Amino acid sequence: MTLALEKPAPAPAAKTRTGRGRIWLILAVIFVLLAVVRAVASQPALTSSSTFSAMLILAVPIGMAALGGLFAERAGVVNIGLEGMMILGTWGAGWAGYQWGPFAAVIAAAIFGALGGLLHAVATVTFGVDHIVSGVAINILAEGIARFLSEVVYAGGDSGGGVTQSPPIKGDAPTLSLPLLSSGPDLLGDLESKRWFLLSDAAGILRGLTSGLSVIVIFALLLIPFSWWLLWRTAFGLRLRACGENPWAADSLGVPVYRMKYFALLISGSLAGIGGALLVFVANIYREGQTGGRGFIGLAAMIFGNWRPGGLAAGAGLFGYADALQLRSQAAVTGLLLLVAIVLVGVTVWQTRKGKLIQAGIAAVFAVGLFLLWLTVDQLPSEFVFFTPHLTTLLVLSLASQRLRMPAADGLRYRRGEDK
Amino acid sequence: MRRTRGLSLAAALLVGSLTLAACAEDSSNTDPDEPGGGAAPTSEVSDVRVGLAFDVGGEGDKSFNDSAVAGLELAIEEFGITEQRVSPNDDGSNRAELLSQLAEQGFNPVIAVGFAYDEVIATVAADFPDTTFAQVDGSNAVFDGTSKGPNHTGLLFAEEQGSFLAGVAAALKSQTGTIGFVGGVEIGLIQKFEAGYVAGATAVNPDIVVDVQYISPAGDFSGFGDPARGKILAQGMYDGGADIVYHAAGGSGLGVFQAASESGTLAIGVDSDQYETIGDPALQEVIMTSMLKRVDVAVSEFISAFIDGTVEGGTDIIYDLSVDGVGLSTSGGQIDDIQADIDGFKQQIIDGEITVPTTP
Repeated sequence: MTLALEKPAPAPAAKTRTGRGRIWLILAVIFVLLAVVRAVASQPALTSSSTFSAMLILAVPIGMAALGGLFAERAGVVNIGLEGMMILGTWGAGWAGYQWGPFAAVIAAAIFGALGGLLHAVATVTFGVDHIVSGVAINILAEGIARFLSEVVYAGGDSGGGVTQSPPIKGDAPTLSLPLLSSGPDLLGDLESKRWFLLSDAAGILRGLTSGLSVIVIFALLLIPFSWWLLWRTAFGLRLRACGENPWAADSLGVPVYRMKYFALLISGSLAGIGGALLVFVANIYREGQTGGRGFIGLAAMIFGNWRPGGLAAGAGLFGYADALQLRSQAAVTGLLLLVAIVLVGVTVWQTRKGKLIQAGIAAVFAVGLFLLWLTVDQLPSEFVFFTPHLTTLLVLSLASQRLRMPAADGLRYRRGEDK
Repeated sequence: MRRTRGLSLAAALLVGSLTLAACAEDSSNTDPDEPGGGAAPTSEVSDVRVGLAFDVGGEGDKSFNDSAVAGLELAIEEFGITEQRVSPNDDGSNRAELLSQLAEQGFNPVIAVGFAYDEVIATVAADFPDTTFAQVDGSNAVFDGTSKGPNHTGLLFAEEQGSFLAGVAAALKSQTGTIGFVGGVEIGLIQKFEAGYVAGATAVNPDIVVDVQYISPAGDFSGFGDPARGKILAQGMYDGGADIVYHAAGGSGLGVFQAASESGTLAIGVDSDQYETIGDPALQEVIMTSMLKRVDVAVSEFISAFIDGTVEGGTDIIYDLSVDGVGLSTSGGQIDDIQADIDGFKQQIIDGEITVPTTP
């Protein structure tokens, strides 16, 4: 019996290389498009450093939740409880942070999140509860636990906390900036303010992503390539993914499936918890309800990213970018209309070449419509602007996600020794 | 067999979580001098039992709800009433049950804090015609012209008047000629703050630029509890040249103060004296003033009126500048030098020379 993990590729090395080349090409095209739209629509917020630093703030917590989802689902457990684990993480971060500072907050958030993951593991792996039922229960439970703990710990004390919030976190984590380029002489900042086509855009994006970064955010960003390495380049990762693809086969080859799923869920919960901690650090305080559904968005980002670290990072980044843009400059959102119109023109050409005339026609009609809308509308109604991040994600998902493949045994109830 | 076990565990998990959630939402605090919630009052104390239902955010929010608590405590001191406080759960889905429970247990009057009770309080008031209800921030009149009932009193504030003074202070203090406003949720109540603020700022300086943004749209109340987005919004305003930002965003306002602190600029707090309640010296520095909404005054005066038997019901009581129901805080002393100008505008509003708009 063999483990059919991935479709056998005749020349895997060559395939990855072209795959990676394509990603860079897509990124370059998106960048040039952004720069063009920035210049044509004269909306500097589209590529400004402040938009991109806000994007990072908004995207990283979502990305951590998505990474948590990745570990769980790669091991075959659907984790809809990410939101709850994130809530537990925010509470843990607030509680440890006000007493012992930001690093303790991260550790406490990871532990609190992992407890949520452990509960999910006990329910789904040991007792075979339906994954969705257990996940939803954890989401409800986490809210209640957070409120309950706040009442026990903060209410009536002089610490500055209350039933719905923690005292402020003690101290800040150190921040880093690229020397010369983003701090001190701030060469990138200079270049950005020149508003030269392409060059200033590149400078703005780079500066936004490299100035005043908290070491904890850097740590979180490094977790993404680390997760890729762990899951796709180590024996542990191979076994973990085997549990998500074909646990019966994995079991027959001696992989301890239950234990691997436990590991995966512990990692999943702690990553979601760390995502919560990052959210707490933005305003240095735990506040009830501050996750605001980001765990669910993380789950969506993971699906968007085709259950892969790079893809989920792109999904979280896209959502974060659209969100940052609408928070920073409502007018700049109108520029996105032009961007989408240009992309749809590209889709039209591509579909025509493939001979799919109906799809090409639909894309062309929408492209023309959006272009006219951009010409005639000064500023979109704010009701529409608020939903830009969700709309953008939905749009890209529907355009790009026809070839998603989830782990084969994801969400299935696995009992050792029983058939499917 | 295994399947049954799995199902029962799932059920246990769900029941357990609901129980815990329920435990967490009911905080019953009785007067410390009165052991046992419904204990019979002694001869000196009034036998009035007040039920107070908080807004989302609950007791300890350092703002709106805590202001109601202050009013309640004032009433306890003065009249020796007995009280029970309850907080709705995180999504506020149990508001109607909370009010009914209070009324059923014989608490009278029942005071609901927050406009969020709008949807449920009329029904509950009709179910308990002998109980007197008051609602902070909720008018007795409903949009369609009907009333929430003869036993319901709306305790309203002229937020636009207080916000007008905040706008005056911001315009007088701004060096850059650009100021900002961060609203929590784009609803009528918060737009009142915006309208007054903009009017006040332009009354001082007609050329002033006011950057107005909301955190979430109507219907999505996450904007009152999302400091991260509050911070990002405010940061954008400060980057864009604003040097004073006024927030009417509940818990998200913490993010606004953080952004002000990081960029060395100022912010204006809301509802209660946030300079006093923020509990962080670094953030205290950036709070120039706060637009006070004297929920404490409204609550204690309502209880006092109830004890005197002078509550009419079926109407609204509006707390405006003339009764100091709204105003600016002075802690920190950052607006001491412009106090005379502020008082001048205040008098003009009281005298009716300036009419403050309530919609932007």
